Amino acid sequence: MDILETIKLALEAIKINKLRSILTALGIIIGVASIVLLISIGTGLSNYVSGEFAKLGANSIFVLPGRVQVGPQGGPPRSINKITFDIAERLDREKGPYITEISPLIQLSVTAGYKGQSKVTTLAGTKSTYFASSGIMAAEGRVYSDRDDTASRKVVVIGKTLAADLFKNDTPVGKTILLSKKPFSVIGVLAPQGNAGGVDIDNQVLMPLSTARKLTGANQVNSILVRTVSTKEMALAKAQVEKVLKRTLTEDDFTILTQEQLLSSILSILSVLTMALGGIAAISLVVGGVGISNIMLVSVTERTREIGLRKAVGARPRDILGQFLVEAVILSVFGGVIGITIGFLGSLALSNFLKTAVPLWAVLLGIGFSSTVGIIFGVAPAIRASRLEPIVALKHE
Amino acid sequence: MKALIDAQNISKIYGEDSNRTVALDGLNLRINKGEFVAIIGPSGSGKSTLMHILGCLDRPTSGKYFLEGKLVSNLGENELARIRNEQIGFVFQAFNLLPRTKSIKNVELPLIYSKVKQGERETRARLMLEAVGLSDKLNSLPSQLSGGQMQRVAIARALVNKPLVIFADEPTGNLDSKASQEIIEIFKKLNREGRTIVMITHEKEVAGKAKRIIAIRDGKIVSDRRVK
Ligand SMILES: Nc1ncnc2c1ncn2[C@@H]1O[C@H](COP(=O)(O)OP(=O)(O)OP(=O)(O)O)[C@@H](O)[C@H]1O
Ligand SMILES: [Mg+2]
Repeated sequence: MDILETIKLALEAIKINKLRSILTALGIIIGVASIVLLISIGTGLSNYVSGEFAKLGANSIFVLPGRVQVGPQGGPPRSINKITFDIAERLDREKGPYITEISPLIQLSVTAGYKGQSKVTTLAGTKSTYFASSGIMAAEGRVYSDRDDTASRKVVVIGKTLAADLFKNDTPVGKTILLSKKPFSVIGVLAPQGNAGGVDIDNQVLMPLSTARKLTGANQVNSILVRTVSTKEMALAKAQVEKVLKRTLTEDDFTILTQEQLLSSILSILSVLTMALGGIAAISLVVGGVGISNIMLVSVTERTREIGLRKAVGARPRDILGQFLVEAVILSVFGGVIGITIGFLGSLALSNFLKTAVPLWAVLLGIGFSSTVGIIFGVAPAIRASRLEPIVALKHE
Repeated sequence: MKALIDAQNISKIYGEDSNRTVALDGLNLRINKGEFVAIIGPSGSGKSTLMHILGCLDRPTSGKYFLEGKLVSNLGENELARIRNEQIGFVFQAFNLLPRTKSIKNVELPLIYSKVKQGERETRARLMLEAVGLSDKLNSLPSQLSGGQMQRVAIARALVNKPLVIFADEPTGNLDSKASQEIIEIFKKLNREGRTIVMITHEKEVAGKAKRIIAIRDGKIVSDRRVK
C-alpha cells in the first residue's frame, strides 16, 4: 500500500471515529497552545522591559550604594550607604570628557496631604535636567528649573494619579500640598506614564534635589545617574566614575551598573522565567501525549476485531502499523496547528496589556513537540496493533 | 486432476502439558475446484480450526497444506496476507463489518490491500453489492441493515477480489430461517457460476444444500459423502 492510500485510510478512520479523534487532538491542542502562549508572554515581558530601559537611554550608568549583585543570585545590599552628596559633587566636578551629566537621586516614601485628603506616595528629589533627559513633560503648569534647585524653592511637580486623588476636580497648579507636614506649592502636573510591573508611576511627587535634601536632612543619595556622551564611551566613563569613587570608598561601598548590564541581567532572569513557562507547557504536552497513547491503546482494544478483519482480508503488519502511525501523526499535526492558532489568538488578545510576540522558535518547538509526542505515543500502540494474530484479533470479544 | 485444496496429515495442538488440546489430529482433506462443501460436527470438534488453517489465517502445528499446488503451510506472515487477500474470501458468523462504515466501503476493503485504485474499487464493490441484491444499500451503515443484509455485504466483500475459494464459518448462525435461506441461495448461485465454497454449519437443513458433506469429530474426518 502506498503512502497516499495509507493517509486516505487513516483520514477515513479519523472521520469515522470522531469523538476519539477529537479527544486525542485535544491533548496536543492544549499542550501546544500553552507552549505558544506562555512563551509569547515571556517574550512580551522581555520586550516590555527592554522598551522601558530604552526610554531611559542607552548611555546611562547607575551608581548604587553597597555591593549589589544583579541576576539570579542577587540579594539586597548589606553595607550602609556611604555615597554622600559630597561624593556626588566631587564626581560632578571631576566628570572628565566622557560624562555629560551627574544626576544624584533622593528617593523616599512620604504622606502627601491636601484639604484633609492624604495619600502615601513616592518622593523623588532630582536635578532639573532629569525631565529633559528622561523625556518627561508637564501636562499642566511647568516642571522646576535649575534656579528652583539652586534656591531650594519649595516647589513640587506631581504625578497624574496623585493629582487626581488629592485634588479630585480641583486644579492642582498653584495650590499648596503638605509633604511630611511641610507646605510645598504645586507648579506642575506630569503627563501620565502608566504602570510599571503593577506599580503606578503616576503616583509620585518630584522636587528639586536641594529642596529634597533640606526636607530629609539626609546626607546620602539613593543613587547617582551618570549620562555619557555616547554609548561608545561607556567603558571610559565607567572607569572615570570608579576612579573618583575609589578615592574615598572601598569596592564594597558602591556598585556601578551600566544600562546594558542591568538590561542583560534582567533579561536573563526573564529568559529563565520564559524557559520555566515553556517547561510548564511542555509538561502539559507530555500529559497530553500520555492521554493520546491511552486513547490509542484503548482504541486498539476497541478496534482489535477491526484489525483482525483487516488482516483476514489481506492487510500486512506494516499496513496496520502504517495506518495507526499516520492516524497519530495526522491528529498531532492537526492538533499542533490548532494549538498554535489558539496560542496566537491568545497572544493577540493579551497584546492589549502586554506587547506579546510569538517567536518562530516557539512555533517550531510546538510543531516539533507535538509531532514527536504524536509519533512516540502513536508508535507503541501501533506496533502492538500490527503484531496481533489475525485469529486472536478476530475472536476478540 | 490437481486438487485446489490439499491438506495432508494436518495437526493443530493448542497449549502445553495439562492445557494441551489437540484440535486437529492428522487430518487429510482434498477439495477440487467448483465444489460446494459443508463441514459439520459437534461443538469443539475442530471445524473452525480447520477453516482457519485452510484459509491461511493460522498455521498447522504439523502437516502440509497445498493451495492450488503451492505449499503454503510454512509461508511467512506477509505471504499469507497476500494469499488471504487474493485467493481467499471469508464469511463469518458475526458478519465482522467495520462499524460506522458504509456498505460499499466495507466491500472495498480487500481491494485497498491489493493496490486497486479508488475508482475501480468503487465500481467493483458496487457490482458485488448488486450481485447480492443490495444495490439500494450501497451507502447504508451496518447499523441500518438487517442481519441477512449484513451477511450479504460480507459475502460481497468475500467475493470482490475474485478469490479461488470462499470459506464461511456458520454464515447462517446468527440469522433466522428466512434470511438463512436467502444466504444459502446466494451460495448455491455462486457455486453454479463455478465458485468453490467451503461452509461450516450446525444445521442439517443448511448442510443438505451443499454437494458434499464432511463430518468432523475430535479433529478427524469421520464421514465424507456426496449429496445425490
Ligand atoms: N486459541 C485456542 N487456544 C486453545 N484452545 C483452542 C483455541 N482455539 C480452539 N481451541 C480448542 O480447539 C478445539 C477445536 O475448536 P474449534 O473452534 O475448531 O471448534 P469448532 O468445531 O469450531 O466448535 P464450534 O462448533 O463450537 O464453533 C476446542 O477444543 C477448542 O477449545
Ligand atoms: Mg467454530
